[in-house]
Amino acid sequence: MTIEEFRLPDVGEGVAEGELVSWLVAPGDRVEEDQPVAEVETDKALVEVPSSYDGIVEELFVEEGDVVPVGDVLISFRVDEAGEESADTGSADGEPTDAGSVGAGSADAEPTSVEAEPDTSSGRTFAPPSVRRLARELGVDLGAVEGSGSGGRVSERDVREHADSGDSGDSGADEADAPAPKPVDVGSGDRKSAVSKRGSVEETDATTMAESGAGPDPADRERTLATPATRKLARELGVDVDEVPTDETREGEAFVDEERVRAYVETVEAGTSPELDASPEPDATVTGGVESEPAPADPSVDAPTSTAATVSTDADDAAADVAPDTVAAGDEADAPGETIPYRGVRRTIGQRMEESKFTAPHVTHHDTAEVDALVAARDRLKPKAAEEGVSLTYLPFVMKAVLAGLREYPILNSELREENEEIVLKDEYHFGVAVATDAGLMVPVVEDVDEKGLFELAAEVTDLAARARDRSLTPAELRGGTFTLTNFGAIGGEYATPIINYPETAILGLGAIERRPVVRERSAIDDEFFGDDEEGYEVVPAPTLPLSLSIDHRVVDGAVAARFANTVMDHLEDPLLLLNE
Amino acid sequence: MVVGDISTGTEVLVIGAGPGGYVAAIRAAQKGLDTTLVEKDAYGGACLNRGCIPSKALITASGLAHEAGTAEEMGIHADPAVDLTRMIEWKQGVVDRLTGGVEKLCKANGVNLVEGTASFVDDHTVRVAHGGDGRGSESIEFEHAIVATGSRPVEIPGFSFAEDHVWSSEAALAAESVPDRLVVVGGGYIGMELATVYAKLGAEVTVVEMLEDVLDPYEDDVKRVVRKRAEDLGIEFHFGEGASGWSEAGDGGHLVHTETEDGEKSSYPADRVLVAVGREPVTGGVDLEKAGIETDDRGFIETDDRTRSAVEHVHAVGDVAGEPMLAHAASKEGIVAAETIAGEPAALDQQAIPAAVFTDPEIGTVGMTGADAEEAGFDVAVGEMPFRASGRALTTGHTDGFVRIVADADEGFVLGAQIVGPEASELIAEVGLAIELGATLEDVAATVHTHPTLSEAVMEAAENAQGQAIHTLNR
Ligand SMILES: Cc1cc2nc3c(=O)[nH]c(=O)nc-3n(C[C@H](O)[C@H](O)[C@H](O)COP(=O)(O)OP(=O)(O)OC[C@H]3O[C@@H](n4cnc5c(N)ncnc54)[C@H](O)[C@@H]3O)c2cc1C
Repeated sequence: MTIEEFRLPDVGEGVAEGELVSWLVAPGDRVEEDQPVAEVETDKALVEVPSSYDGIVEELFVEEGDVVPVGDVLISFRVDEAGEESADTGSADGEPTDAGSVGAGSADAEPTSVEAEPDTSSGRTFAPPSVRRLARELGVDLGAVEGSGSGGRVSERDVREHADSGDSGDSGADEADAPAPKPVDVGSGDRKSAVSKRGSVEETDATTMAESGAGPDPADRERTLATPATRKLARELGVDVDEVPTDETREGEAFVDEERVRAYVETVEAGTSPELDASPEPDATVTGGVESEPAPADPSVDAPTSTAATVSTDADDAAADVAPDTVAAGDEADAPGETIPYRGVRRTIGQRMEESKFTAPHVTHHDTAEVDALVAARDRLKPKAAEEGVSLTYLPFVMKAVLAGLREYPILNSELREENEEIVLKDEYHFGVAVATDAGLMVPVVEDVDEKGLFELAAEVTDLAARARDRSLTPAELRGGTFTLTNFGAIGGEYATPIINYPETAILGLGAIERRPVVRERSAIDDEFFGDDEEGYEVVPAPTLPLSLSIDHRVVDGAVAARFANTVMDHLEDPLLLLNE
Repeated sequence: MVVGDISTGTEVLVIGAGPGGYVAAIRAAQKGLDTTLVEKDAYGGACLNRGCIPSKALITASGLAHEAGTAEEMGIHADPAVDLTRMIEWKQGVVDRLTGGVEKLCKANGVNLVEGTASFVDDHTVRVAHGGDGRGSESIEFEHAIVATGSRPVEIPGFSFAEDHVWSSEAALAAESVPDRLVVVGGGYIGMELATVYAKLGAEVTVVEMLEDVLDPYEDDVKRVVRKRAEDLGIEFHFGEGASGWSEAGDGGHLVHTETEDGEKSSYPADRVLVAVGREPVTGGVDLEKAGIETDDRGFIETDDRTRSAVEHVHAVGDVAGEPMLAHAASKEGIVAAETIAGEPAALDQQAIPAAVFTDPEIGTVGMTGADAEEAGFDVAVGEMPFRASGRALTTGHTDGFVRIVADADEGFVLGAQIVGPEASELIAEVGLAIELGATLEDVAATVHTHPTLSEAVMEAAENAQGQAIHTLNR
């Protein structure tokens, strides 16, 4: 047993120091050679630093967030001799142990190896697939586990015990010298497979309760599942399998294996009294349930010397083991009717929304443009556009009006780069146009709005929208916007609170153009007709365009937003002004 | 209301929707990973479209026709008329159903499906060229990739699949009519399965094989059962000959020329020649080198027991990752790839991968042969049960073959089995389970098997290995 220090290795060309972003291990964890122990960020990249030892983490010398020069000590390990040896032969493909919860590996344990052929005379360890997987999970080399089944077959319990034994004694000899661990407990169930999960809630509970209280008491079941070989063994040893305590179930029936038969026989022979058991509290099944990983049985609990305390502890473990399954089964039963996967485009949209809304404090400014003149202008141009094969909507006019606004208030065509402490005013006018598609919202970008004519813009928007719908846009066509328009009015509605297409600074939402009541000054003729007692105003139906402008209030204040909106509205209400854009 | 700049990115990118790729994609999605599956051709890959499934459909159909016509012994006199067009349509219906199912399953699990041909741009990006005019291409960035591009039939010099009369296995599974004379080049499992189909459909079939027997990897007594039955079906075998070319024959057909090692030449008349000499990985065109991945000298991607290539975040599964080139191996690898990416302790730690050949009779094998076991250092116990001693086999009229079980003599652990006979492909599953669970001969023998079934033969073989079989003489 030696203590080895481990220094920040040279993680890349020319990198002299790195920030320790996070520790992936904690003191007491068992690590294997090549297992990542920390994440270190250099000015080039985020890298995982692998351990060069097999051992137990002794101490961490650096705190998360510290900047560490290359060559400084990061961490120290307790390394055992065998571990050192095996570090050379250590399998590079060993799964990093989730050692924090396990403290795996006896002193003479080999490093994890997932090879199916560990070191036995015939080159093979017999263990079912679920056990092999557990061994990988716990970082246990199957070849080093002494199987308690007939002919050395390895069970889940053997693996857990082996994993546990690493913690229990510093000396690797312990395990070899001690009699093969034969826990008397009937708990600390070693099977957490789908098979035992299948038992219904009641059955599982019932089993647990019965077993928790049973200790080495003979069970008294009507039916017990066991393999033919187990039954034969039981007969040979003069035991009724129905009496053998177990907490393992298959298909809801109690299940007994050879190992339990043997353990039971030993218990009985040792004259262990049933009274040893201290009945655990019934709700142990529930409270124990928070522990997701069942505590492995204590291998030192040898039948003849066991005490009431250890027995009941083990029984509690049994409860802990079963309870999570019970909970899981309950959860499943309560599952709601339908679930929709939150992935792909949906999740991308979600993440972008979250980023925008939680980063930029939004303020939304609402106003309404009276667009009689715009409607007339568009009606006149529409047939001309059609001759050129272009379908002319209002959107190109709005784009030009926004352009006018942005030229006057460039702060709305900007991006805040907080880390650089600067706001970048864009000198390009690339407008995103939100398109609803089956897959979700997409925002293709129309570039250089300032350099394009109305028809050109109309044609481009039509094309981008169509291709957004059949998902044939290239990623480049979705990038690089400086301001975004969303025409929710195409579907209906007046006002909304659009979310900024972050990191842009502003987004303009368009309601539906409809006739709405507006108050206007009465014309002179009307005045004569109505006489002086009227106030000189009237409510008339007129086509209006409701506008919803959201801004990032970090970058720009409400007054500027309102002025910008006014400019946009001026241009929409008097489209001749657009000739200037 | 708005999202911008959707960079087409994905956590897991799977290339190829065969049994390796689609299984990997579904499992990855089940693990909550954002998964994109790119397929250039048809969902289900070689297996569903031009391999396992269509071949098994035709094997069943041709077998049924043949059996109905040869059951005089049971008092059945029939001369079934085979409408090959209809048979192929039916097969296609089966295929379509399954491939449609694969697509639906992928969607239901939240896998993003992209149609097109993927090639690497660098180790975190692929370009997907969409088929068809003007459909363009797109780039997809990935965190992890799983290459599952499968394999294709090997062409040999002198026999181009572009020729109408030269069939690949794919063409043989979509034939318009039964050729009068079929020469099959290659006596491996694909050649033998298809030779049997066409022999049963009435073709005169000749198998030309370079080696000295059919079905190279199997033991002699296993091969013998299949070869003898094939000969009874009228299939002619020429061993030690390699096909060298073909020429037109006067009668409108062709002559297939062969040569032995000593230069002895022969010719066999044929209307069609099926070339089934093996399969090669599909790695060209994927630009693997741009991701930093090299292939071995046969073009396979080398992987570790977690399916990782030399570039750790790029996995390879299925035929493209080498032997065994079998659909179920591909699927297992796909699962391990997905779970490894999800950070789970998965690995290819199976003790054995079963294999089946759907000849007449079938072959099913798993784990070690007796010789393998000896070589691995076991004291070997072997038990056999011939099907002619099985009541159920007799009642089916198929009694060729046997079950052989191989175990460790000391502790009784089951190590392997070779089954040749009726339903061998199904029977082998029981032994596979026994091996994985570490069951012993005693466990298998003491498990009560239904009577009368073929599976009793497995139990009997296990008894025989312990020297206590009831229905055969113990050795
Ligand atoms: C006649 C025949 C019979 C067979 N019978 C059996 C049997 O009975 N049992 C058995 O286990 N196996 C059988 N096989 C083998 C089995 O079909 C293969 O082992 C299996 O299909 C391999 O699966 P895979 O996922 O690796 O590749 P494949 O099934 O080959 O799938 C690969 C997929 O990737 C796609 N692809 C390739 N390149 C690209 C690219 N660049 N971009 C996008 N997509 C791409 C392909 O279009 C294909 O769909 C048989 C094969 C044949 C030919």
